Amino acid sequence: MGPLAPNEIISENTNFLFAFFIGIAFGWVLESSGFSSSRKLAGIFYGYDAVVLKVFFTAALTAMLGMLFMSMFGWLDLDLVYVNPTYLTSAIAGGVVMGVGFIMGGFCPGTSFCGAAIGKIDAMVFVGGLFIGVYGFAFTYGWWEKLYLARYLGEPKISETLGISDGLFGLLMILAALGMFVVAEWAEKKFAREEY
Amino acid sequence: MKQLKLLALIIIPLGIIIAAMPADKVKHSRLTPDELLQEAGAGVQFISPDVVADMLVRKDPSLKLIDVRTPEEFESFSLPGAINVPLSNLLSDEYSDQLNQDAYMNVFYSNGSVYANQAWMITRQLGYENNFVLEGGLNYWFGNILSPATPSQTSPDEEFARYDFRKSAAAALGGGGVVSTDAAAPAPKAVKPPVTAKAKKKPSGGC
Amino acid sequence: MSNNTSTNKSRNYLNPYLGGVLLGLVLLAANFVSGRGLGASGAIKSVVATTIGTVNKEAIGTMPFMAEYAESHSGNPMKSWLVFEMLGVIVGGFLSGAVAGRLKLKVEHSPKITSRRRLIFALAGGALFGFGSQLGRGCTSGSALSGMAVLSLGGFITMMAIFGTAFALAYFFRKNWI
Repeated sequence: MGPLAPNEIISENTNFLFAFFIGIAFGWVLESSGFSSSRKLAGIFYGYDAVVLKVFFTAALTAMLGMLFMSMFGWLDLDLVYVNPTYLTSAIAGGVVMGVGFIMGGFCPGTSFCGAAIGKIDAMVFVGGLFIGVYGFAFTYGWWEKLYLARYLGEPKISETLGISDGLFGLLMILAALGMFVVAEWAEKKFAREEY
Repeated sequence: MKQLKLLALIIIPLGIIIAAMPADKVKHSRLTPDELLQEAGAGVQFISPDVVADMLVRKDPSLKLIDVRTPEEFESFSLPGAINVPLSNLLSDEYSDQLNQDAYMNVFYSNGSVYANQAWMITRQLGYENNFVLEGGLNYWFGNILSPATPSQTSPDEEFARYDFRKSAAAALGGGGVVSTDAAAPAPKAVKPPVTAKAKKKPSGGC
Repeated sequence: MSNNTSTNKSRNYLNPYLGGVLLGLVLLAANFVSGRGLGASGAIKSVVATTIGTVNKEAIGTMPFMAEYAESHSGNPMKSWLVFEMLGVIVGGFLSGAVAGRLKLKVEHSPKITSRRRLIFALAGGALFGFGSQLGRGCTSGSALSGMAVLSLGGFITMMAIFGTAFALAYFFRKNWI
């Protein structure tokens, strides 16, 4: 049955309409979880607020379990779901650059749009920076092309790389995430800040 | 903390259920002769030279060209970036990692398409995936991609589009035996290859 | 904990675990309906490609990165899934902020630094994040979150690189945040 669009059950334009509604839900959840506040987001790096860690991993686990179960029931063909190709070098290099941007700017692209939507001026400036960064990359692409295309690994699943089944990896990730949540709860008490 | 306990209470049993499920995918199953005949008859293994030329021009890292001719023939001419796996050595262990993989798109080629097709048949029978055959082989490649014939005045537009694409691809690949001296040779202006692969339809994505 | 819960309540933020489950369901819906995860930086790329194309048609041909992208989006980069999704994010974020009474024009920063310093860092951080998202083929939502949900190796690597780097550098930027 699913995914609906690649199976041509819904048309391209209907898919765009769904994109808009999914976006509304996405923005709503981000904002109401507190992702529109950069100091709340940055809290994870100093231990005073672990909302990012909790939301991020709970979301990844929920979606992952949902997909595995839907695949098990035959509702969703996982072969048709887009998996980002892995280019090892650029995944690490890009991640490092994004990490620097994260600790300096306090947002990531999705959350900055949320912050900008409710009037955070720092978020609007961050969005402006994003445009500059994307333009800068496109403009200097020739310099990075080699790096960008290096160490292509296809679209491997982490469970395949580790040689275990998807389900077992899911269970391990659940246990690891719950362990991190316990640490996060402890850190929030230890490094608590009254007002930020 | 209360919510965390609730979350753990729900999510751990779900995780155990999913982990206990047998992995359903049995990969690399051998095909029955009937299935192989059906696939070969449908021609799913063929990939058009225009698609390959386009991937070469774009330096698509997922493309891997495999020359199944003899090493002597391979020495005298080969396509850019191709590796040599002579048909007679196809089953040696040395090559099995390259033929049985799922990161790259392997494209077999020979002078015509007979030998390349044999290579595909053998690997397909072994259950390997992601192997393809260059339609028409090198003969067609020379005659049509590297030195395309100018379409006649009355040809349909697609014919002209294809001609333009092939000409720019030939220039980019240093083709037709004509070494392009023009440094600013017409950079292939991302002309879409007129024939698309019969590859499985995948949703596009990317953040 | 009680301390923190009260802070959360006074601000009407969702419980983070509930928020996570809801976000996961949104991501699941995106995968079920459209066969793809969520994203953000791709929409910015669309806008940049369109802007360059409008200002100077020639320029886009000289930028292979953008030309290829415009090509793969049937000539109009704005007609992309992510652009519609991000428009929705702005609407959704605004509605949630309006309901919770958080609509307010302000620069949020630590009392130890000036607004000016905060904005300069926000601009620099945004530029780096924009650059990194193109190099890494996706940002926190597109590559890390959506990638992790489909168990993509690249998603896990990008996630660890982003958070690892930010943790490693947190000490040097502490004045900005605490």
